[in-house]
Amino acid sequence: MKRVKNFALVAAMQAGLLAVVASVAAAHHGFAVFDTSSQHTITGTVKEFQWTNPHTWVWLEVPNDKGGADTWGFEGMSPNFLGRRGWTRKTLQAGDKITITYFALKDGSKGGAFLSCKRPNGDELKMFGASPTEDN
Amino acid sequence: MKKASVAQFVIATCAVLMVSLFSTGFLSTVAAQTFKRRAPTSSDWAAIAKLPDFTGVWEVQMGGGPVTRIINPAVGVPPARPTPLSLTEAYEAKRQALVAHAEEDNQSANCLPPGMPGIMAQPYPMEFLLTPGLVTIVIEAYSMVRHIYTDGRPLPSDPDPTFFGTSIGHWEGDVLVVKSIGFSTQTEIEPHVPHSDKMEILEKFRLLDPNTMNIETTVTDPEALTAPWVANRILKRHRNWAIAEYICEQNNRNYVDKNGKAGINLTAPTGAAPEPK
Repeated sequence: MKRVKNFALVAAMQAGLLAVVASVAAAHHGFAVFDTSSQHTITGTVKEFQWTNPHTWVWLEVPNDKGGADTWGFEGMSPNFLGRRGWTRKTLQAGDKITITYFALKDGSKGGAFLSCKRPNGDELKMFGASPTEDN
Repeated sequence: MKKASVAQFVIATCAVLMVSLFSTGFLSTVAAQTFKRRAPTSSDWAAIAKLPDFTGVWEVQMGGGPVTRIINPAVGVPPARPTPLSLTEAYEAKRQALVAHAEEDNQSANCLPPGMPGIMAQPYPMEFLLTPGLVTIVIEAYSMVRHIYTDGRPLPSDPDPTFFGTSIGHWEGDVLVVKSIGFSTQTEIEPHVPHSDKMEILEKFRLLDPNTMNIETTVTDPEALTAPWVANRILKRHRNWAIAEYICEQNNRNYVDKNGKAGINLTAPTGAAPEPK
């Protein structure tokens, strides 16, 4: 599928992905609040995708056990970084159903660090990975 | 003394003080803005065409190889350094005190950019502009700029302390050699590694191949370091990249508070423009 091909497809092992994340996180503020020792998944509907610096944000409506829904916030890489890896500000749109893989917040708040997500049709969108090389 | 002559004495003393203030303090700060750049000639512009091609947008290669990875000691991983960072006793004591009272995250969480040399090691690209007498580095991280004067001016004798210092450069063949002084002690060499106001940075920029640049950075500091600290970075050119805007305060939801506690703002957006703080 055309859209899948546009994304940085670094087929990293879990450790490999963590190494990439760690090296990017290293020169990166804000990672202190996340528990990077394990990954979690959550499914919901995109409420808003903020294409902003210093981080993009994916706001996800997640059904709760009270019959309603909670809004979860996932911090993503800068649009400057993502825009060079096939993402645009329209990659995620309100109403998109996705399953997000993330690092949880140490204090248990409803949010995390966005690592990747999957659509119901199986398309996977990753935020990390090397920038594409091109013919200079 | 009589009243009148006391007044005269005071006025005369003030006048002397003003003159000496003007001739020392005032002039040396103004001096940074007084080197007159002559208008470029067409041969100045032609000379640039003979320099190595530094144009375009360059990406610092992170991870692996001869690259500095600055890892925040506050999260328990020791920094990886290309040469050992050997601090003097006094500055090692300062470093340990900073680590002992470490904030959970550094001030970049509050959008304060790092100074030199850290600003040259960010995961965002930079662009080099070569014009007569000047090399300008446009740094995408935090939308910063460095000016490297190649017009033959001397380094200032008493530079204002700044985050990036004052830089002059010259070409040695195909290598741009840059010396920078005048660094504010508000910045750090690496997280929790302080420097004195006598820190100096020497950089050498050269192409390793048509689209690969090496920047060798040597930090010296007679008060803080017992030996020069050398880092090498590799940058790759992307002819199809453009420097993008990076306004950190656009939607910054991270913070470190005055007690050093890191936090995150998860108040969902309402769809309206963010309110000014």
